[in-house]
Amino acid sequence: MSSKSQKILTTDGIPLEESLKKAERKNKIKAFLLVAPLLLFLIITYVFPIGDMLFRSVDDRMVTNMLPKTFKAMEEWDGKELPEEEVFAAFYLDYKKLVEEKTFGKLATQLNFEKNGFKSILKKLKRKMKKFEEGNYKEQIMGVHKRWANVEYWRALKRRTPSYSYSKYLKGVDMYENEDGKIVQVPEDRRVHKILWVRTIEVAFFVTVLCFLMAYPIAHLLATLPMKYSNLLMICVLLPFWTSLLVRTASWMILLQQQGIVNDFFVWVGLVTDDNRPEMMYNKTGTYVAMTQILLPFMVLPLYSVMKTISPSLMRAGKSLGGTPFVAFWKVYFPLTIPGIGAGCLLVFILAIGYYITPALVGGASGTLISNQIAYHMKSTLDWSFASAMGLMLLTGVLAIYWIYNKLVGVDNIKLG
Amino acid sequence: MKKLSKLLLALSFALSITSSAFAVTVASWGGAYTESQKLGYGDPTAKKLGVEINWVDYSGGLSEIKAQKEAGAIVWDIIDVFAMDTITGCDEGLFVEFDFDKDFPAAPDGTPASQDFFTTMPSKCAVGNILYSWNYAYNTKNVKGTPKTIKDFFNTKKFPGKRAIYKSALTNLEIALAADGIKPGKGGAKIYKALETEKGVNRAMDKIKKLCTDPKGGCVFWSAGAQPPELLMSGEVVMATGWNGRFFNATVGEGAPIKQVWDGQGLDYEYFVLVAGGPDEANAKKALAEMTSTEGLAGSAKYIAYAPWRKSSIGVMAKGEPWYKDGKTNMVPHMPTAPSNTKNYFLVDPIFWADNGTELGEKWEAMKAGL
Repeated sequence: MSSKSQKILTTDGIPLEESLKKAERKNKIKAFLLVAPLLLFLIITYVFPIGDMLFRSVDDRMVTNMLPKTFKAMEEWDGKELPEEEVFAAFYLDYKKLVEEKTFGKLATQLNFEKNGFKSILKKLKRKMKKFEEGNYKEQIMGVHKRWANVEYWRALKRRTPSYSYSKYLKGVDMYENEDGKIVQVPEDRRVHKILWVRTIEVAFFVTVLCFLMAYPIAHLLATLPMKYSNLLMICVLLPFWTSLLVRTASWMILLQQQGIVNDFFVWVGLVTDDNRPEMMYNKTGTYVAMTQILLPFMVLPLYSVMKTISPSLMRAGKSLGGTPFVAFWKVYFPLTIPGIGAGCLLVFILAIGYYITPALVGGASGTLISNQIAYHMKSTLDWSFASAMGLMLLTGVLAIYWIYNKLVGVDNIKLG
Repeated sequence: MKKLSKLLLALSFALSITSSAFAVTVASWGGAYTESQKLGYGDPTAKKLGVEINWVDYSGGLSEIKAQKEAGAIVWDIIDVFAMDTITGCDEGLFVEFDFDKDFPAAPDGTPASQDFFTTMPSKCAVGNILYSWNYAYNTKNVKGTPKTIKDFFNTKKFPGKRAIYKSALTNLEIALAADGIKPGKGGAKIYKALETEKGVNRAMDKIKKLCTDPKGGCVFWSAGAQPPELLMSGEVVMATGWNGRFFNATVGEGAPIKQVWDGQGLDYEYFVLVAGGPDEANAKKALAEMTSTEGLAGSAKYIAYAPWRKSSIGVMAKGEPWYKDGKTNMVPHMPTAPSNTKNYFLVDPIFWADNGTELGEKWEAMKAGL
């Protein structure tokens, strides 16, 4: 028999296989259309902004296009001594064009990011340039301001030659590429980003640990108490969760400051003397206390939802098989809660690493985190490409932690409820 | 991709624009300050011109207006900005350049506008609004004796206790040098000359570092203008640098035991700029001229102790004393420009900060991180 004759036909004569496929395709399209809005939402709110950020952080075409002649003339220059006349002449011609087009301001802003002091000498050059005579531009430009005769500024200019560069990422870890093409550290008194990265991770780590230590017993209590008590306790956990972040931060400020309620209480019970009140605010202590309290629910809730599903008989079985309460807890109960611990720790850590308002308000000098620095470059210096680069570094860090977690514990084990 | 993100931005701004069309929108700093602007010259101007004036709050910087422009949907007409931002924004073509004497009315006695303002503008796009001061104040209940000079702010032996200072380097370095014995010279020129050198910057940083690490001193860093008077009143610090208008409001407005010290104060300016291509540029220009007129600027000083930019406005105030809204406080002596307050002062130099802000900011943060 041929295989054709084996095909089963539907009532209208189409092979069943095809008809089924058709119906399936229809279902697939329907399913896709159902998730399409979500997909679109994800693309618009995640993929595009992050892609845009990535692009911004390496894109330096603007400066490259603004000074084409200069960069061409600079190709031969080794960066040791001041460049030759031809570089100065090319720069003069490029800059003249920018002044005519009224776009020199953008160049000044960009170059000032590279080397401080560029802004004013460019503006001064713009004013004096009108009276320039033809020829010998090197001397004329150097006569405008002594910084034009400083080779550092020309080196900074050369660093902006490539259309795409990763220099902002280097800056994010306090490094830069010098004129020999070597990657070196910035001067010691300007190394601030590394300190902030370490501090951010440190704060996020300890907040996670503190949250875990506090949330575990609370969640256990919530899961084991009879309904009428646990409901009340649950409200106590959720109520602050529903309160505005700023309100909670501000209340900690009232509580913890040196003339605050907690300190007043300490003095009243005689724990400390009046003129020796401990500082609990505007330092790391304040950051830890406020952030732990604010992020606590994110740890309690996943833990609770996991603990709720663990049958109490398991502990009893463990004990009846000869384990001490601790052994029973450690060998039976604790491993079962790991999915909740994983979810809670990951949530708290990721939230903490990008925290912004609370450390800014209660952190004081030692309280600025990397996100504050990102905001500073977004809002004050307007170095958006640098802010994007640091934002992406933070994102990469979070993804790396997620990856490590997946390797160690397995993401499938996460349980949020 | 760029196009799409632009489109998205445009969409989100288009949504917000519908609510504010056919009115002049002014972005300012909010709080008591915006209140003084609205009551002092905003409402009278709106009434006179028959144009609605909306006040929106923002927290400074050019990031928002740049984003609006990139999206191609500008929603602000006038912005209240720092000097540094008028320079950057003007160079980048964000703001309208003025023909000063033509665009702004002369003083009542006929002095052209450019002569009536205290100094020249930092850029062609700026028109002066107020002068304010970065000075310091103390809580009279918590300090024994009377601090009189800027040196006393750093003298922890005589006046022990914590100090509150501004969170970033701006004005802190200048104040530190003034307290370290550098005479500011004309408009603070000597201070800025010192800060141009590595040595001067280190000297200023060390002075701050010494104050902050002193067991008898210590620092709290403030970021919002409302904080310094609050920190003084709660007793958290004994002295605080801050903006004079906020101290004035706490003292005269709320009766707090706070006293200001004017020695070594930093005079700083606030400006208006007109956004190029704003939603209602023509009306905004008219409104701006009206708001920055002699009467207009004098009006805002009724509500807050910031000095109007025009000399002629001070004349109006002096004639109308007691000028403060409570009807019994003389305002002119509280102005940061009053002769008794400007015996030892410096002018905050926007060009210096536009040039060196980033680098000094990094050094400052590195210093703070090591505290």
